Amino acid sequence: MQDGFSILSRRRLLRGSLAAGGFLFMGGLGLWALRGRASRVEGLRSLTDHEHRTLSALARALFPSGGAFAFGSEQAGLERAFDGFLADEPEWNRADLKRALFLLEYGPVIFEARPRTFSNLSEAERLAHFQRWSESRTLIRRQVALAFRKFLSLVFYDQPAAWPGIGYPGPLTLAGR
Amino acid sequence: MKGEIADLSRRAPPADTTVDILVIGSGCGGATAAWDLARAGREVLVLEEGGDRTGLDLTQRDSIEYDDLYMDRAGRATEDLAITILQGRALGGGGVINCSDVVPIHDPVLRVWQRRFGLTGFSPEALAPYTKRALEDLHANEPREDQLNRNNLLLRDGARHLGWRGEVMKHNRVGCSGLGTCMIGCPADAKMGPRFVAIPGALKAGARFWLRARAVRIEDASAELKTVRVRRLDPTGHREVDGFTVRARRVILAANAIASAQLLIRSGIGNEHVGRHLSLQPQLPVTAIFDEEVRFFRGIPQAYAVTQFEDLDHAQHGFWGFRVEAISGTPGIVASLLPRLGHEGKELMRLYPRMASVLCLLPDEPKGEVRVERSGRLRVRYALDEEQKARFRVAAKAAARLFFAAGAREVMVPCVPLIALRSPDDLPLIDAMSLEPCTAPLVSAHQQGAVRFSTSARDGGADPSGQVWGTRGIHVLDSSGFPTSASSHTMAPIIAVSHFLAAQIS
Repeated sequence: MQDGFSILSRRRLLRGSLAAGGFLFMGGLGLWALRGRASRVEGLRSLTDHEHRTLSALARALFPSGGAFAFGSEQAGLERAFDGFLADEPEWNRADLKRALFLLEYGPVIFEARPRTFSNLSEAERLAHFQRWSESRTLIRRQVALAFRKFLSLVFYDQPAAWPGIGYPGPLTLAGR
Repeated sequence: MKGEIADLSRRAPPADTTVDILVIGSGCGGATAAWDLARAGREVLVLEEGGDRTGLDLTQRDSIEYDDLYMDRAGRATEDLAITILQGRALGGGGVINCSDVVPIHDPVLRVWQRRFGLTGFSPEALAPYTKRALEDLHANEPREDQLNRNNLLLRDGARHLGWRGEVMKHNRVGCSGLGTCMIGCPADAKMGPRFVAIPGALKAGARFWLRARAVRIEDASAELKTVRVRRLDPTGHREVDGFTVRARRVILAANAIASAQLLIRSGIGNEHVGRHLSLQPQLPVTAIFDEEVRFFRGIPQAYAVTQFEDLDHAQHGFWGFRVEAISGTPGIVASLLPRLGHEGKELMRLYPRMASVLCLLPDEPKGEVRVERSGRLRVRYALDEEQKARFRVAAKAAARLFFAAGAREVMVPCVPLIALRSPDDLPLIDAMSLEPCTAPLVSAHQQGAVRFSTSARDGGADPSGQVWGTRGIHVLDSSGFPTSASSHTMAPIIAVSHFLAAQIS
């Protein structure tokens, strides 16, 4: 009885493992196919071309050009700033943030069963998707949203080109120094 | 011995350094201890992870200064990312980046420390001369009326309309130019913190300060001569270049309430209390839009506090309730706390000159924990409980009432989803604020505990003199030892306690 049970278990385990492996392989293949091509970006220190594309898509959704003021992420170089930041981070944080970019890119597929990746959504869809993450019941999605919102907002509004649009006259200079 | 400041990112240290006293951290605790001990004739070396940033070297730019002047490039947070932990990393430590508020330890807090924790030596009478000395060090003074910016005045107007108690806090600025960039360093060098008081004093007395030096391990904790392993950082302060060791008869930890415990844990030193009993004193921002230009980005960011709901004689904690304090910031940090994005976000930031802002500050039970993974990665555990969440909702409502009383057009609690109030009738909307992790931009600026003072090794990490239990000559002289929240602002308490404990060592 014991032997029969073990054999059955092993067979089941083998079949299950093969099925799971196949599922993961097909899933991975699907994700790989969905991501499409990313333009080659010269001089990146830490981000891959695909990660750069995800970040760029996010930045354009969060800080679009036009509207209240003309300056937008296209002129802000947020992707380069993030790339530089990442390159100097400890390995564990670099890995975490790269995982966060991966999750963001495949978020529509993984969490919403949509056959499109984040950077292939329209700008309005990307913003709505990101805001759903900010308000999600799932902590990891809120964490990803918070981490990128804080970093990108700080860098975007620190740029002198953003200041005229928000009525900030810039730092005061010290008289006589 | 001649005092010196040496930037180790540009100059390797001498091999085989042995000193009498090694101080780790050059902020309020470390610089003060170094000053007192050097004046007492002891040979003192101070290690500091940050650089020396003063005068016009400070750029008033968010992305540069938050990156350099703060631990973990201002990215330090609890492990669930719910609370951002702001800690200075520069010669002068937190004194370089704080809002300069001077609020000493309240006597009832000391009585709680005596009654609840048996720390009979920490009596108001015993601490009094050291508090007096701390206030002198800080050149503590009250801001002049003309130095209160519109943001602070609006908060005071609101309090007066409501008949609520409030106060202008003492500060340590002398010659303030009203730049408004206190949290990213003062190019006018107007903050009379450790950088311009204790450190020059210590240098004059012969202390040496080595910058861009990160202590990573203490060995031979019980031996006469301890070995401290140190990593030298590059000029950006982000990358470790190489290592060296320092040997010292005494090691004084003043790296901050988290880093001191972190170093002990990494070194396998201390008992099970090391890393526990951490207080974060979390704060929640509340923002308002006025019809008039407030221009809160100029002038002193934080001068007025509403103290109506603060309990300074709480039987269990000494300091409890909440405070509502004015706050402001440069565009980057303000935007990073606001949840609106896309075109809506840009519309909101267009109102930046008309914004006013406060922080709701909650003293807390010291329930957080510092842990260190095998990889060396720091983990800070802290979870808001239901009592704190309820207190935050009450505090946010109080802040909103203050703003409406001062004439605000709209009040925003910048959580997700954003809570926007158009009138006091909307106050019940704040009840929907869940305060689940990563739904509100909580910050911690006054960490305390994690190596708390105790009369027995069963109750804390260090004895009442600051010596870590189980060691001989390893002391904590920063806010790590505080068993509860000492004050709403920790600069003066840390300096006072450091003077107090350094006197026992010297």
